[in-house]
Amino acid sequence: MRAERRGIGEPMIEYRGVYKAFDYPVLSGVDLTVNSGEMFALFGPSGTGKSVLLKTTLALVVPDRGDVRVDGESVYYDGPDALERIRCKVGYVFQYAALFDSLTVFENIEMGIPEHDLRTLSQSEVLDRAWEALELVNLEPRQVLTKMPAELSGGMKKRVGIARAIVGRPEILLWDEPTTGLDPVNTAAVERLVKQLSDELRVTSLLVTHDVIGGLEMCDRVAMLEGGEVRFVGTPDEFRQSDIPVVRAFADRHAAHEALDVLDVS
Amino acid sequence: MTEPSSTSPLPRPLAGLLGRIGRTSLLVSEHAGQLGMLVVAVFMAVVRVRVSWRDVMRQIYVVGVQSIPIVLVTAGLAGIVTSQQGGYQFTGSIPLYVMGSVVTESVVLEMGPVLTAIVLVGRVGARITAELGTMKVSEQIDALYSVGRDPIEILAAPRILALIISMPVLVGMANLFAILAGMVSAQYTLGLGYETFFYGARLFWHSWDMFYSLLKSIAFGFAIPVIAVHMGLRTGGGAAGVGKQTTQSVMFMTLTILILDALFPPLFLQ
Ligand SMILES: Nc1ncnc2c1ncn2[C@@H]1O[C@H](COP(=O)(O)OP(=O)(O)OP(=O)(O)O)[C@@H](O)[C@H]1O
Ligand SMILES: [Mg+2]
Repeated sequence: MRAERRGIGEPMIEYRGVYKAFDYPVLSGVDLTVNSGEMFALFGPSGTGKSVLLKTTLALVVPDRGDVRVDGESVYYDGPDALERIRCKVGYVFQYAALFDSLTVFENIEMGIPEHDLRTLSQSEVLDRAWEALELVNLEPRQVLTKMPAELSGGMKKRVGIARAIVGRPEILLWDEPTTGLDPVNTAAVERLVKQLSDELRVTSLLVTHDVIGGLEMCDRVAMLEGGEVRFVGTPDEFRQSDIPVVRAFADRHAAHEALDVLDVS
Repeated sequence: MTEPSSTSPLPRPLAGLLGRIGRTSLLVSEHAGQLGMLVVAVFMAVVRVRVSWRDVMRQIYVVGVQSIPIVLVTAGLAGIVTSQQGGYQFTGSIPLYVMGSVVTESVVLEMGPVLTAIVLVGRVGARITAELGTMKVSEQIDALYSVGRDPIEILAAPRILALIISMPVLVGMANLFAILAGMVSAQYTLGLGYETFFYGARLFWHSWDMFYSLLKSIAFGFAIPVIAVHMGLRTGGGAAGVGKQTTQSVMFMTLTILILDALFPPLFLQ
């Protein structure tokens, strides 16, 4: 499937005027394009709607207005078959893992393989794939495969969640804070995995993260979401040199402290 | 952000009342619409053979087989109580063989189906709402969608089918057990022989009664899981939300059972 390589630059995920209000508007018209093969980081203060935006990509949250297009197809206007195709080619790493707690780790990961692929795979091939996915997230398959999610630590759950997202070999990966709550070694393992998937398999990654330094280091482009809108899109270098206040507050620690002081005074 | 009533020409209490009526009817139609959509979605899943029979069988075990003990205990007690109260009322006034009919008819027409349904609301309905509600608030439902699976096909449909299938069997068992218990109890407390009991039971028996009981059980077996699933999938607001939603779901199911039950005589016993 992924053999026919797409060139970098074609739009892979396009958010067009995405508007979503709960009690108040959370996203007020977000426009953002992630290109194929790109590693794209999305920063933003806590509670600005980064997770909500990611969820609109798979219609887990339905926006009030606007559209999302994935690989040329509309999530909302091209019918249920298109949505099913999109869900099969996108892997989603949930912020809080969201493992199925009535299933074992193995069954959880198995769920990550699209149904039509599952029908063509033998039981041992499925096991091989689950094994490989667990090793990629630095978990020992022998120890965790038969465990229930309740028996795992928070960081282990998170990594099983990543294994479930990558086992289906998606073309696109949405990562909602994959490294938050992980120790440095596992953070490095996940970062390496994101990079490896991007470099070797040309997977398009949209990464929501609070790890600005890591995000700037790894990603081709970054964006800043704040107050329901995209305040900045550009390369990591442009981000570091930007003088938009929110961006400055994220780009270096001194500016962050200054911003906090300003808040204290007001 | 002005309060609507402050600009309204109506006096405050009236505007408040109208507003409440408006909101309630909106909520009712929202529930009705979502319930209808759920039923259609489940029906489509079944027609398109998207429901795994293994899942249905597993659910039949959980909701049906495992409910047998509590259903039988409830039915047995109901049969005993009916026969004793009947005995107390009728002794000396009406021929005792009437007891056979009193117990049989009240069990088959009313108590068997309704008590079984109420027991299942607590044992199965509440469990389904809490289970799906927890999955909803912990994003497991979202996760299912994200891996291209449909929660209606793999969670809702098996539970609903399992209860539609189990309920008539459970009610049949409850009916039988309640009548037997009533018969034994009549023998012990009133000295009413089994033949006399049967004679009375047959005297007023219509073959339609069995069918009526079955019809009720199917209606209840449909209503309970549909409401339970619907309420579960609407859950929001963390663990507290699951608790609140489960309580509301139990009230909703119980009321629905009683209302359906009240509709049965005018519709089917004319
Ligand atoms: N299902 C929901 N119902 C009501 N409000 C919601 C819901 N989901 C999100 N919100 C609101 O939307 C806002 C954005 O939430 P979101 O989870 O997207 O934030 P975030 O940017 O991911 O924050 P964080 O970095 O802390 O994860 C929050 O204020 C939250 O209260
Ligand atoms: Mg978030």
